[in-house]
Parts: sequence; C-alpha cells; structure tokens
Amino acid sequence: MTDQKKTILVVDDETDIRDYISTVLEDNGFDTLVAADGQQALESIKKGKPDLITLDVSMPERSGVRFYRDVKESEEYKKIPVVIISGVDASFEKFISSRHQVPPPDGYIRKPIDQAELVDLVRKLTSS
Amino acid sequence: MNQPYRRFFEALPGYCTIQDRDFQIVEANQKFRRDFGDYQGRYCYQVYKKRSEKCEVCPVERTFRDGQDHSGEEQVTCTDGRNVSVIVYTTPIRDENGDISAVMEMSTDISELKGLLRQLRESQERYRMLFEEVPCYISIQDRDLNIIEANRKFKEDFGSFLGCKCHQIYKHRDRQCLDCTVQETFGDGRVHHSEEVVSSKSGKKNVLVYTAPLHGPDGNIISVMEMSADITPIRELQGKLESVGLLISSISHGIKGLLTGLDGGMYLVDTGLKRDKPERLEKGWGMVRRNVERIRSLVLNILYYAKDREPVFEKIVIAELVEEVTEVVCPKASELGIQVSSEVDQECGEMFADRNGLRALLVNLLENSLDACRVDTKKDVHQVNIRVLPESKTILFEIGDNGIGMDRETCDKAFSLFYSSKGTEGTGLGLFIADKIARSQGGSIEIESRLGEGTSFMVRIPTAPKNQRTSDNPLEE
Repeated sequence: MTDQKKTILVVDDETDIRDYISTVLEDNGFDTLVAADGQQALESIKKGKPDLITLDVSMPERSGVRFYRDVKESEEYKKIPVVIISGVDASFEKFISSRHQVPPPDGYIRKPIDQAELVDLVRKLTSS
Repeated sequence: MNQPYRRFFEALPGYCTIQDRDFQIVEANQKFRRDFGDYQGRYCYQVYKKRSEKCEVCPVERTFRDGQDHSGEEQVTCTDGRNVSVIVYTTPIRDENGDISAVMEMSTDISELKGLLRQLRESQERYRMLFEEVPCYISIQDRDLNIIEANRKFKEDFGSFLGCKCHQIYKHRDRQCLDCTVQETFGDGRVHHSEEVVSSKSGKKNVLVYTAPLHGPDGNIISVMEMSADITPIRELQGKLESVGLLISSISHGIKGLLTGLDGGMYLVDTGLKRDKPERLEKGWGMVRRNVERIRSLVLNILYYAKDREPVFEKIVIAELVEEVTEVVCPKASELGIQVSSEVDQECGEMFADRNGLRALLVNLLENSLDACRVDTKKDVHQVNIRVLPESKTILFEIGDNGIGMDRETCDKAFSLFYSSKGTEGTGLGLFIADKIARSQGGSIEIESRLGEGTSFMVRIPTAPKNQRTSDNPLEE
C-alpha cells in the first residue's frame, strides 16, 4: 500500500453500481469520487484530479464514450488510467473498434464485477 | 352421269350423295356405300342418323328452299356403329329449266380434327386452370406496365384492376418503381427477380417476384409475366427468430446489470453486518430489494413479450385502477425520494377495457418515469404524476415526470423493441410492451419530452372496444 491514499473516480449512471464500486474501493484503501454521467465526470476531474477512473461506456447518449475521448485527447488528463467497466461485450468491442487516434483503455472489467479482479487491477494501475 | 364424271364422283375422298326433295338418296359414292351400306330406297336421316324422320336442322332442306349452298357440322353413325364427325356441304342440282331437281350433299370426315381440337381445348383449359389456381400471384404486363391479365389469387388479394399499372395495384403509387424487374425483362429478355413489400387488400405482404418474357410469333417480347410468391410468413418467422436472439442478448445484458446490483447489495449487507455498520446494511438491503424487484418486472415483461395474449375486456372503475397502480410503485418511489401523485377527473367513472393489460401498461410507464427521475442528478425534487381525463370516446392517462427527459431521437425510438436509453440497465422491453398493450386495446401512446426537463406519456384507451356488442357493453347503453 502506498503512503498516500489514491483517489478513484467512479463513473456509472446506475446508483447501485456506483455505490457498490465506490464502497469496495474505499474498503480497500482508496478515496473515491462519483459521477453519474460524462459531464459530471468531466466537472469532477477538473476539481480534483483522480489517480484512476472506472468508466461505464454504455451510459445513455454515449456520454461515457465522449468522456473517454475527452480525457484521452486532453494533454492534462490523458495520463490518468481508465478502466472500462461494461456488461455489454458487444458495446465494448464496438467502442474499441470505433476509436481512431485515441489510445486503448488501460484495463477492462466485465460485469458482473469480480471484486478481487477490480481491486488488483486498480491497485496495479495506481501503484506506478 | 357421264362415265368420266361418275369415276370422279365415285373416287371423291368424302361421303357424297344426291338427294331428292324427300331426302331420299338417289346416288351415293363408293366411300359412302362402304361406310353406310346400301342406300337404295332409303332416306338420308335413316342412313346417317338412324332416325325415323328428318332432322330438325337440315342443310339439304335449306338448299332446296333457297337454292343456296349451305354447310353444317354433324355427327353420323356408320353401319359398324362408329361415330364420325363431319362437315356437311350442300349445293343445288338444277334441270334444264333451272329448277332444283336434287341436292348434292358432301360430308368430310373431321373426326381427327375434332379430336385435336378437343385435346387443344383440354390443354388450354389445363393451362388456364394452372394459371388460375397456382398458389402465387401471376400477372401479365405490357410495355406500359399495364396489367393485362391476372390469375384468381391476384384478383382475390389485390382486386380486379385489369388495365391499371402494376405499381398502382401493388404499391398504391403513381410513379413506377426505381428498380422495375418487368422493365429489366423487357430490356434484356431475361428472368429477373427481386423481393418487394406490396399492399394487398388484407395488408402489407412480403413477396418474392420473378419476371419472365412472353414472346410473340415473330420472336419479339410482347409482354412480361410477373410471378410473386407470398413469403410473409417466412419473413415474420425470420423477424421473430431475430427478436428471440435480440431478446436473449438483451436479457443477458440486463441480468448482468442486475447481478452487479445484487452483488453490490450483498457486499454492503455482508460488510455492514461484519463491521456493525447499520447504515451500510440498510443501504445494501435496499439495493438487494431494488434489484430483486427489477428482476421481477423483467421476468413479467419477458412473459408479456413471449405470449400474445388476447385482451380480456371488463368493466373497470378508473379511480380504483389508478389507486392500484400508484400503490404498486409507491414503495420504490419513496425509497428513491420521488413524490408520486394522482389526479382522476370526476367525469372519469368506468371504462370497458383489459384490466391486467392496462395495469401492466401504467405500471411500466410509471416505473419508466421513476427511472427517469432516479438517474437525473440535476434537480433536487423529483415528481411523477398520473392524471386521468375523459375525452369523447377515449380516456386519457397522462403520466408525467421531471426526470432526465429525452431528445428527439430517443423519443422516436422509445417504443422500438430492445431500444433502451438507460445504458446498462434497460432491456428495451418496457415501453415496447406498453405500446403493444395500448394498441391491442385500440389505443395509442404519445410522448412529449424535453431533454433535461422531463417527459409526459399520453395514453389514450377507448372507453369501450370498437367491435364490442352493445349488449355486452354496459357503458354504451
């Protein structure tokens, strides 16, 4: 465990899932911020730069996809690791195949979420 | 008769007789004698027809009467019992004074020709029968795309519009189709095919169209035959299979979200218990309950989708129905901190509708509104309202919320099967089923929505079904 608590931004339109992921991460020694859509998430990273973002890409009106692009195209934020969390394999594949200049996400977790897998991945990506 | 003429007379290849005014045969050639025997002292009708008196219509008699040549078609019986079809020609024989002294009758055997004609007729009838009875639509079109002939099935399903343009009948359109296979066949003389959607008297049909050229005696294409097979049941089946595939992927996607929610609830309950954190336990238990409730409504929707149930019409007290559906959604609403209110106009007494269907429809829409409020993070207070107003022949149920609202595209697609704007959570079944229920009762649903402001669903259901007999319907008394 690092000396300073890392902050994770959890972006999901579903309250229950947001609560679930943030609770699991908090119980494992992380601080969390939450956002219900892409716009809120963007406002959130401007206020306090998180060390990692977990993002549901199948949120209404493609706001997850747009947010991902905004982050990865921004000089300031593009280094923040993003872990995609999705229940729809097809939508993730579509997301990957539709990106052009944007780099691939740093990690991918399928729903239903395996807690240990999530915590390990987040820990690995924030430990460097 | 002079000797050379007698020889010619004898050698004639048909039956030839000379008859007097009493139709007695006074001369007959060799072929006649061979087939009908001795003629001496016998009468035409006796020999040819085995009759005791003259025929009603007799060309010999007519020639005696008017001195003209006559002809007719007869059937005669030879001595061996064989029936022979003949064409009879009669011509007068005049004496030195120009008076008709006898009539020459010559009959040609046309039995073979008659047989061929009969075969031809039978074959034509067979082809006509095939053309009429073949279980697909056949029409013959000229170069201007006018239908000049059509079979029975075509006429039954599209009407007898011979002389009208193909596209007028099939597509109810004045302009010809962009890719016209009939024109292509006229152009290159080949068979072409395409799949089309056409409008029959009983509705839209998917047809597989084949066009083939029909040539005239000179080898030029004079018309084109269009044969269309109705493949609507196949397309419907295909659509259903696709829907089943979509349903499965949509359900599994929905279940993944619900499982994640349940996992989350269980995690919070477990850790709440272990760490003695009642708030966490309560929150987790709420998550479990919410997700179980969602699984329940998902299962009900799947059942509604899977089963085409006929609406069962019964008398409904509208205020009671509204109370019932609000009670169903109230626990979920209070948990989410959303206010639910209802207003039923006093004029709305009773209606005659499918109670279970209407209940499922209203619950689906109310739950949709709750979801729209739940995911909205922009407002502090959320409200869902159900208002019921009487209209001339319908009852208007207006379900409004101040949730996230929808853009135009989402509104347009809202009732499509498996379309969901709720990201990972929706299955795209709820509104599809609500719309299906409304339509099964002769009603409709309209949406008014503004992104970020909220949505109103206007559900109009007839106060009584259209075809309901008055005796069954107490509301129309």
